[in-house]
Amino acid sequence: MGKIYLDPERCIGCRSCEVACEREHGHPRISVDKVKDLAAVPVYCHQCDTAPCAAVCYTGSLRLDGDMVVFDPDLCTLCGLCFVACPFGAIELDSVIHRCDLCGGTPVCVMTCPTEALQLEDIDAITGSTRSRAAGVLAARVRV
Amino acid sequence: MRMTARIPTVCPYCAVGCGFYITRNGMEYMQDHPVNEGALCPKGNAALDVLNHVDRLRYPMMRIGDDWIRVSWSEALDRVAEEMQRALREKGPGALAFLGSAKCTNEENYIFQKIARLMGTNSIDNSARRCHSPTIIALRRMLGTPAMTNPVSDLALSDCIFIIGSNLAENHPVVARWILRAKDRGAAVIVADPRVTPTAWLADLHLQLNPGTDIALINGMINVILNEGLENSSFIKERTSGFEGLDLSDYTPERVSSITGLRAGDIVRAARLYAKAGASSIVYCMGITQHSCGTENVTACANLALVCGHVGRPGAGILPLRGQNNVQGACDMGALADFYPGWRSVDDSRAIDELRRLWNARALPLGRGLTADMMPEADLRFLYVMGEDIVNSHPAVSRRRERLKRGFMVVQDIFMTDTARIADLVLPAAAWAEKEGTFTSTERRVQWVSRAREAPGEARPDLWILSEVAARLGFDLSPEPEEVLAEINQAVPAYRGISRSNAGARGGIIWPCPHPDHPGTPVLHTERFSTPDGRARISPVHHPALERTSPQHPLILITGRVVLHYNAGSMSMRSEGLVKREPEIRIDVHPEDAARFGVADGDAVMIETRWGRARARAKLTPRQKRGTLFMPFHFPETNLVASEIIDEKSMMPELKVAACRIWRAD
Repeated sequence: MGKIYLDPERCIGCRSCEVACEREHGHPRISVDKVKDLAAVPVYCHQCDTAPCAAVCYTGSLRLDGDMVVFDPDLCTLCGLCFVACPFGAIELDSVIHRCDLCGGTPVCVMTCPTEALQLEDIDAITGSTRSRAAGVLAARVRV
Repeated sequence: MRMTARIPTVCPYCAVGCGFYITRNGMEYMQDHPVNEGALCPKGNAALDVLNHVDRLRYPMMRIGDDWIRVSWSEALDRVAEEMQRALREKGPGALAFLGSAKCTNEENYIFQKIARLMGTNSIDNSARRCHSPTIIALRRMLGTPAMTNPVSDLALSDCIFIIGSNLAENHPVVARWILRAKDRGAAVIVADPRVTPTAWLADLHLQLNPGTDIALINGMINVILNEGLENSSFIKERTSGFEGLDLSDYTPERVSSITGLRAGDIVRAARLYAKAGASSIVYCMGITQHSCGTENVTACANLALVCGHVGRPGAGILPLRGQNNVQGACDMGALADFYPGWRSVDDSRAIDELRRLWNARALPLGRGLTADMMPEADLRFLYVMGEDIVNSHPAVSRRRERLKRGFMVVQDIFMTDTARIADLVLPAAAWAEKEGTFTSTERRVQWVSRAREAPGEARPDLWILSEVAARLGFDLSPEPEEVLAEINQAVPAYRGISRSNAGARGGIIWPCPHPDHPGTPVLHTERFSTPDGRARISPVHHPALERTSPQHPLILITGRVVLHYNAGSMSMRSEGLVKREPEIRIDVHPEDAARFGVADGDAVMIETRWGRARARAKLTPRQKRGTLFMPFHFPETNLVASEIIDEKSMMPELKVAACRIWRAD
């Protein structure tokens, strides 16, 4: 399964992803951080291959299962190590741990993003489309 | 009611016209919709919150002193008709006024204005007065059709996009999708806005001009284009008239630089980018229209496009972004004091005579009626407001709300708005997804919306209510949207071929649609303009007097919108997911201005213009231009300080700029 990738140049800070995620899950698992009102960056779970959250979880509540980190609330002790360990601050504690499960494969944050700043793809597809965009921009400069 | 798994609908918020599905338990995205491809902004995601909201009006209610009592529909409807007839009998049609709704369907607005006109008055208006009345006047005169020339998705085909006076990234977020697609192909994006908005983040060239200096900038660009021979001479010769009167040689880059505060080199660069590109588009919104020179501002935009021939081709057009889900439609239907359905001027007796025959009317009123701003000053005996919170959306009305209600006042809405609170009778209406009919989006896309939910309590579709009122006045007007649409086919030429079937297909149909088998017309003016002689009018405009700062009011207040709220807030303020992210009014202040006036981030401050005073919380941000402040108008405080100066041609208030001062409220 692909992962959610962000193109921060496309983000307009509208927070649609937050509102959609909250509607779907009750508590948003993505949050948009505005930096000095001059840029916006959605912060969310990147499904790290060597996930720090799973590495520090001593009960096995968070653990790697193939490509994804899965969460078993029954084993969670709310110790809080995972949300300290996450480099993106993407895990939140609100009487239970909230972390992204990619909505089972069709994440609403990606589907609702007005500017396609969030994409669910595998990394080859992302780099491929970045390459073709860059080529398009360069070609337009050559034409003018 | 038959319940299928998911019912397609159109977002009730802004005018982009995004599609989504309503399901039994919530919503689903519609990935094959031509405008939004499944995407929705935060308001779209929260759209269902207004349905079955605890605050929904459920029963007709009559005022008794300060109390409200529930009454039956028949009592309420009888009363509306009696009061309307009494006002007419005692004071004549000049004592009646009607406010239509850019949130109601085409069919509802058509019937509403028809009732007003059959009662003998042109005093019918809608909120388009405060978003694009200058567009209506200027583009109708210059191009023949007062609407966006190209669809939104066409922006992806542009090589240069010039965005002036539009913060679309916050107000029409899905439009940014298509602009980014153009950028992916290497298009240049120019944004002219005094503030560093999220739209400006998308720009290759951000022109942070002084507020209200748009005409100088555009004239300066045209002057560069003419001096460098970048104009499209064959287009000017074959498709326009009036070019010979366009002498803008005074607008040198240096002089324009001193007016706008921009670097002369940036003005030249913008002109070259726009003129040299294969296909350029101009996108504008209320930063252009909400000025005392709003009509001239729109004229200047159209001049620029016409001189370069950037109209009438894919990716080349003039795109005024409309505000509400059916503001284009409400205007097409003639819910305007200066136009009958189909853009027939109230002064054109021959055009109106066609409607008189269609409606079997003895006579129809001529001449402009009262616009919304004029209503508090008029000697009204009867006011009928359908789906508009005029008290929270018009500064002039907001300040004089008690004068609005001199006679009997009916408000038909989905919530008890501040306007409904001053009424004598409140009628509960069905919301967009609880009824049927067509909505016309900003790109002239007409889409049929089906009923997906039951209305709460005794709330009824506006069309049913109007039909019942009309019956009591002796008019036989259908409550069935399809039957009304069939009459609209005859009354509005651009809608001649529009039906439930083509408007109900995925993505509906873009007018003009002259016959039932016609595929619609996404790009206007491809071969000729819709003016009488087929040519577009170029018409020079110059810089008018501006609102100026003074020692007493040294700053300029800019008003506008934020992404999480919508207009007067009667819908968005009832969405928990939106309100908790944007709970209160904040006034944006540049840190240097804050230091100058002793204001710190988070301080409660007072702001004063010559129109009034208001209180807000200061937010220090480098996105604000030095010397200016910004207040979003979703909160009533902004109406206390906004300007009442009017653009006489369009009756648009100058809401964008007002000289002001600010101090810490201790």
